[in-house]
Amino acid sequence: MRVARGTLLRNLAGSIGVLCTVAGLAFGLPAIDSALPAARPVGAGPYPVGGGVTVTPPPGARLDVTLTRPRDTRGTAVFLVGTVRYVIVVAPFDGSLERAAQRLRDKITRGHQITGKEFPTRTATGLDGVQGTYAASGRAGRYLVFLAGDVAIEVTVAGSAPALRAALGAIEASTRTIAYRGGTP
Amino acid sequence: MTPVHPTPQWAHPGKSLLLPAFWVVLMLIAGGAVRLGLFVRESFAAYPTATLLALVLFGLYAVPFCVFVAALDYLEREPPLLLATAFAWGGLVATSISIRGNAAVHNLVAKLASPGLAAEWGSALAGPTVEEIAKALGIVAIVLVARAQVNSVLDGVVYGSLVGLGFQVVEDVVYAVNAVAVAGRGDQVAPVVATFLLRGFLAGLWSHTLFGALAGAGIGYLAVRTDRPLLIRLSVAVLSVLGAMGIHFLWNSPLLSLGGGAGIFGDLFVKGIPPLLMILFLVRGVRHREADYYMAQLAALGDRRIATEDELRVLAQGHLRAGARRHAHGRCGVKGRRAVSRLQRAQARLAVELSRASGVGMPGLRIGPAVPAGTNVPADPLVPVVPSASADSLVPAAAAGSPLCSPAGVAVGVARVVAAPVQARVLGGPAAVRWRDRVLVERGRMLALGHPEATAPLTRNGSVRRVVGGIAVFLAAMVTVGLALIALGAS
Repeated sequence: MRVARGTLLRNLAGSIGVLCTVAGLAFGLPAIDSALPAARPVGAGPYPVGGGVTVTPPPGARLDVTLTRPRDTRGTAVFLVGTVRYVIVVAPFDGSLERAAQRLRDKITRGHQITGKEFPTRTATGLDGVQGTYAASGRAGRYLVFLAGDVAIEVTVAGSAPALRAALGAIEASTRTIAYRGGTP
Repeated sequence: MTPVHPTPQWAHPGKSLLLPAFWVVLMLIAGGAVRLGLFVRESFAAYPTATLLALVLFGLYAVPFCVFVAALDYLEREPPLLLATAFAWGGLVATSISIRGNAAVHNLVAKLASPGLAAEWGSALAGPTVEEIAKALGIVAIVLVARAQVNSVLDGVVYGSLVGLGFQVVEDVVYAVNAVAVAGRGDQVAPVVATFLLRGFLAGLWSHTLFGALAGAGIGYLAVRTDRPLLIRLSVAVLSVLGAMGIHFLWNSPLLSLGGGAGIFGDLFVKGIPPLLMILFLVRGVRHREADYYMAQLAALGDRRIATEDELRVLAQGHLRAGARRHAHGRCGVKGRRAVSRLQRAQARLAVELSRASGVGMPGLRIGPAVPAGTNVPADPLVPVVPSASADSLVPAAAAGSPLCSPAGVAVGVARVVAAPVQARVLGGPAAVRWRDRVLVERGRMLALGHPEATAPLTRNGSVRRVVGGIAVFLAAMVTVGLALIALGAS
């Protein structure tokens, strides 16, 4: 049982072609992606998160474009304030504020621990919500949940304790600007 | 007629082990299996019930597709190991490539344009380019590993479908488990069921299996039609892969989308059904060409004991084969159905063996010229002549008392019966002898059952009834699925 030399060489060339294409798709594209910066400056005005929700980002914040996805009925915006990640997620929701908060707490407790009590909060445009704090080793966080129309707005802010303390004022000012469809609760 | 070159007898499967492509494919499949295994293990740890349900539902979902592919592949069956390799490439390799490649393309669109464009068009750009190339590589890999097994455009369709099916099943399992995670309500089965209905039925019929079939047809053409210039074959292959990309792009893009809650039904009719019909017609044409070729091999024998004209018509089409089995069941019960089934299988295998002898130009294997009956054929120790007396009757060979094969084991048949009876030497290998004998044995059984012919009575407007009935069942199924999705609260 032998294979002709010509057949073997053609097969080898084809195999190398397949392997190179696989490598190009699985490693080449991610390498090009990694070579380009993910964060870019974001303007000063209201930023559309998606699902009809807007927010005015903190001054000097950068947008992580790889994780930010604005859509008609839902959306995600990820801002970087120094080393602090400020994430807003908007998704369709038809339950109560308590259920929305519970859902976010469930997500947080997969890798973090809720610390302290939950407090009511309100945006400048009149959206009612709740806020609380969480922590993991070396990281501290703040979460907020709002209900508006048929969407739930989940906000998480996380970073090292000193960085979070430094950025918290600007981020709290930003969360107060969260608005649904131009300002109607 | 489109040439079909069945796998030669000398094509030993073990030869693939000597080819670099075999080891490349094996390595990539093993890598993909490890990756998928880790995903399944993590999913089981987090959501055991939902993960198990997703695996079972989408595993069962693959069954009708496999039955359809098996029906397509009835005449010249592909080796199960190779079919499994195609499925594994789609499910393990192409998905692993696509998870990394798709994420990178989404990010690149967001970085080079905007997150808004990535959100709206990311799937339309990443899906067709990365996924279709990853799947097409699987068909190319099959050709490299077992070139002798890809011997018609239909084979390309079969392997392409299975690559696509593997991709679709694994992708849907991943989507279902992700839906459970996103729902954030723990180990719930509702997101799995919703994903199954949405991706399996509403979006599944015109999904990766069809895209793979289209790409496979082109790559099959490139591999098989060596009678055409390389440039034309390459163009056809590239166009078919681009066609698969185009249909995939249209389905993923916001173009022609109606939006809103009923948008999926609009998409289904505007973007789903036209490509589905187009590709099904293409597959139908390719299948008929292959069937015509094999039926011509049997018809050339002109021996009604091997196959009557009606049987040739029936044997070429899956629904007619099934109809003939049902008809036999109605007349003779289970024994009749089994006898027809065995006869059809033996006729198909005989056609392939005759085709091997005539198509590959092997030394010593050729179709001899027809000569008038009663003429003394020049002595050839390998080519005995059979009297044609029983060629146009359904009398069993044993009853006719005619020796059907030579001691040397070379098949002999009788050529097409024309106005002036002639005989011809139709040569084949020992396998042809074996299958011809099997045909005659099965014919004998059917004669004993009083059901001599494996055919079904023609029903008027049967095709119209089938088409209308099929459309009605399809619409009813879609409405049911839609209502079920609404009940599950899927958005």
